[in-house]
Amino acid sequence: MAALLELVGISKFFGNVTALENISTSVEAAKVTCVLGDNGAGKSTFIKILSGLHQQSEGDYLIDGSPVGFASPRDARAAGIATVYQDLAMAPLMSVWRNFFLGSEPGSFGRFDTAFAKKTAKEEMAKMGIDVRDLDQPVGTLSGGERQSVAIARAVYFGARVLILDEPTSALGVKQSGVVLKYVRAAADRGLGVIFITHNPHHAFPVADRFLLLNRGRSLGDFAKGEIDRDELTRLMAGGAELEALQHELESR
Amino acid sequence: MSAAVQAQGVGDERIVYRGPVQRLLTSPEIGALVGTVMVWALFWSTGQNFGNAGSTASWLDVAAPLGIMAVAVGLLMIGGEFDLSAGVMTGATGIMVGLFAQKFMGDGASLWIAVPVAFLAAGSIGWFNGTLVNRTKLPSFIVTLATFFILRGANLVFSKRLVDKVLVENVNSETVRGFEPFRKVFASVHKKEPFDLRDPIFLTLVIVGIGALVVSLLEQSLVRRASARTAALSVMLAGLVAGGVGLLLAHRTDGNGANGLAAVVGFGGLVAAIAGFAAWRYETHAPTGSWITHRGVRPMLVGLGSMLVAFLVTRKLDPAQQRVLLSVPAHGVKLAIGLVSAALGAALVGRRGIAALRSRVGGSRRSPLAIPKLLFTMAVGALMMLVGVLTFLQLTTEQGFRALVQVGLGGFGLVALLAAKGAARRESPRAQLGVGLVTVVAIVAYAFVLRHDSQAVRFRSGLFTAMLLFAALVLANALVELRQVKRPAANAAADRLGRLLGVVGMSLVSLGFAVRLFFTGAPFRVSILWWIVITAAAAYTLARTKYGNWIFAVGGNKEAARAIGVPADRVKVGLFMMVSLVGCLVGMINILRFTSVAASQGIGEEFEYIIAAVVGGCLLTGGYGSVIGASLGAMIMAMSINGIPAARWNSDNRFIFLGAVLFTAVLVNQKIRQKAQEAR
Repeated sequence: MAALLELVGISKFFGNVTALENISTSVEAAKVTCVLGDNGAGKSTFIKILSGLHQQSEGDYLIDGSPVGFASPRDARAAGIATVYQDLAMAPLMSVWRNFFLGSEPGSFGRFDTAFAKKTAKEEMAKMGIDVRDLDQPVGTLSGGERQSVAIARAVYFGARVLILDEPTSALGVKQSGVVLKYVRAAADRGLGVIFITHNPHHAFPVADRFLLLNRGRSLGDFAKGEIDRDELTRLMAGGAELEALQHELESR
Repeated sequence: MSAAVQAQGVGDERIVYRGPVQRLLTSPEIGALVGTVMVWALFWSTGQNFGNAGSTASWLDVAAPLGIMAVAVGLLMIGGEFDLSAGVMTGATGIMVGLFAQKFMGDGASLWIAVPVAFLAAGSIGWFNGTLVNRTKLPSFIVTLATFFILRGANLVFSKRLVDKVLVENVNSETVRGFEPFRKVFASVHKKEPFDLRDPIFLTLVIVGIGALVVSLLEQSLVRRASARTAALSVMLAGLVAGGVGLLLAHRTDGNGANGLAAVVGFGGLVAAIAGFAAWRYETHAPTGSWITHRGVRPMLVGLGSMLVAFLVTRKLDPAQQRVLLSVPAHGVKLAIGLVSAALGAALVGRRGIAALRSRVGGSRRSPLAIPKLLFTMAVGALMMLVGVLTFLQLTTEQGFRALVQVGLGGFGLVALLAAKGAARRESPRAQLGVGLVTVVAIVAYAFVLRHDSQAVRFRSGLFTAMLLFAALVLANALVELRQVKRPAANAAADRLGRLLGVVGMSLVSLGFAVRLFFTGAPFRVSILWWIVITAAAAYTLARTKYGNWIFAVGGNKEAARAIGVPADRVKVGLFMMVSLVGCLVGMINILRFTSVAASQGIGEEFEYIIAAVVGGCLLTGGYGSVIGASLGAMIMAMSINGIPAARWNSDNRFIFLGAVLFTAVLVNQKIRQKAQEAR
């Protein structure tokens, strides 16, 4: 079975700056691929290529085994690639159900079928195991984790096949992060391929089926779950050999 | 009970089900709604003619163009932008049509050409505003300020050059071709004489409408019974008959005569009908709890005290005296008023500071500047309050002050009593009934005081009847609260029926009042119809179309809206065009009505539109608000423009009044919004 989404030897140059060099990985249906990297590792460029905001300079971007070239985020969305950005694309003063259907309102002739919208939003979120107290409450009053959940449920409902999550847990506390991780897994269990971008190996390890480690625009490796353990992942993330050298240096003083 | 509740579907146990009243209280337009009622009541009780058909027609005439613009500007504000050229647009399009119709190619063009050209021009200017805001990413405040000056200059230049005046006049059916048909559409006057059945129709519509509203409230807050209860049904029917008979008997008297028996029968019948209906249709439980309330005591005493003060002041002041109030009391009293108000101001401002100081006594972290700082803020507070109170006394007349006290303190007392009832309900249904009975007695007593006090028919019969009716509804509500089970969760079927009945009830009541108002021989302008249609269309668009969703989103978080696929730039351009087109509509209404337009027409009004929208609950930063609120805001402004002279106050006071209204409305809206979000 061909992977849902596959990257082969992707590179991206901005003038003489190399943002990404020779990155390869794949996302399968119902699997979570984690992209790990410290600040400046090239994670944002990576997302922008995936979501169609940038085009790669070299390499192939394959969907269902055939190469694609997205001219805009709209193309990527049409191909079923939904991106949930950190700022979540929500209007804080609007109710949950209004936000859920924002930009794709149901109903004909411009009418917004609010009864259907409320019902569906409730059902869809329940399917993901998300239990929002009151659909009429403004999104701004939800906690960060709940907001992420609404965004995920929305992407799932609107037919995403691949869900890209940009640091969904970075601004959250421990408990909230756990909630979001649960929904990430739930999205994968519903058959989506998930790309989960984070700099926290402890968040990545429990949910991911595959790990792509980035460092300064280069791949430190693309591992399946069994090929790497948590300690090794943490060590690589934390700078690996560099950190050991630093520790050595600090101790010898 | 629990079985019935489960049959109705249990909601989320973490949230308290919010009934219709709570939902209304957390809606953005509630501040404006309360304000409209208060302001109307104030002028109604002060002005000799305010409230009759002729004066209503005249303030509605002022309100209509203001309201039309406030709705458009409100939509734009919800979309996150301002349009400072909206006011001058109404003048510019008028000037344009006037000049076009008189001077184009020598002898002028027909309005059939001039009016569409004006709309086209307005649309283009709106498009220009919107596109410039989008492209340059400058604040719309700046962009439309520039447009404002350009249009203002163009008005002067063109009118001076073409007619050599800053006024384009004589736009009428003699000088302009095609005038009549356009006047009909934009500026016709409609007068209808009363007909025989008018009052019965009015009464029927209002009574049926109130009935529908009552059922709507019950339906949305109570649990339906599994099986009917015939005993209660007969109580209801008996109540209906008694209420009807009582009403008819009371109606046969002139309203001034004391027909106590009829009133008591009608009053009791009404209460029995509602309570019986509730017991027949909805689940009951035995009343529980103590009769004593603890939480409700304070607001209850405040309410009763406030009504008592209102009563005493009313007794002291002369209803016909129009001299300035400050000149009335002796010097000692004036001094006392000044001292008391200064102390009050200092206490209000310093309250938190004093509490903070007190709590830290003995602590070591007090800043050495804390006490001087506190004293300074308290002095500022005292000064503000002193100046405010004295200015107020200087501005108002004895007669006006009396009305303010009657409406203000009476209304405040009523609200406090209702709040006491709500607080007591949280303790026990019985305590709630006790406070409810006190409230009913207070309302009835106050109604009699007002009736005894006044010579005017509208107090003696109109207000008196309304207050008694209200007291009956409060009593019925207290009985229902005592016996019926409150619904803990939303119930789709019952809520839909309830909402439908609510809309029907509101429509019937409004229709009743409209019939009574319209068929009086008073002249009503067609602009009022435009206003209603535009408000309804805008409210529908906002609540029930995808464009409404987009407007909220674009105002709330433009980048997010764009990222999710909302054509944000197009929405904004559309909103600017809409404001300009509506401005043109108002321009047409004005020029066809007055047959002339000054080059300065509309300048400064853009702020009135914004004020109306803000009073109506639109957030200055966008993303939240209501066009119905904006319409109500326009009503408040128009009422004060017309009502202040009608109350024989100096009409310059209206700016102070508007400032105070704006200030109060914004504070109230903010408070409500906070409450609304906490309550969730």
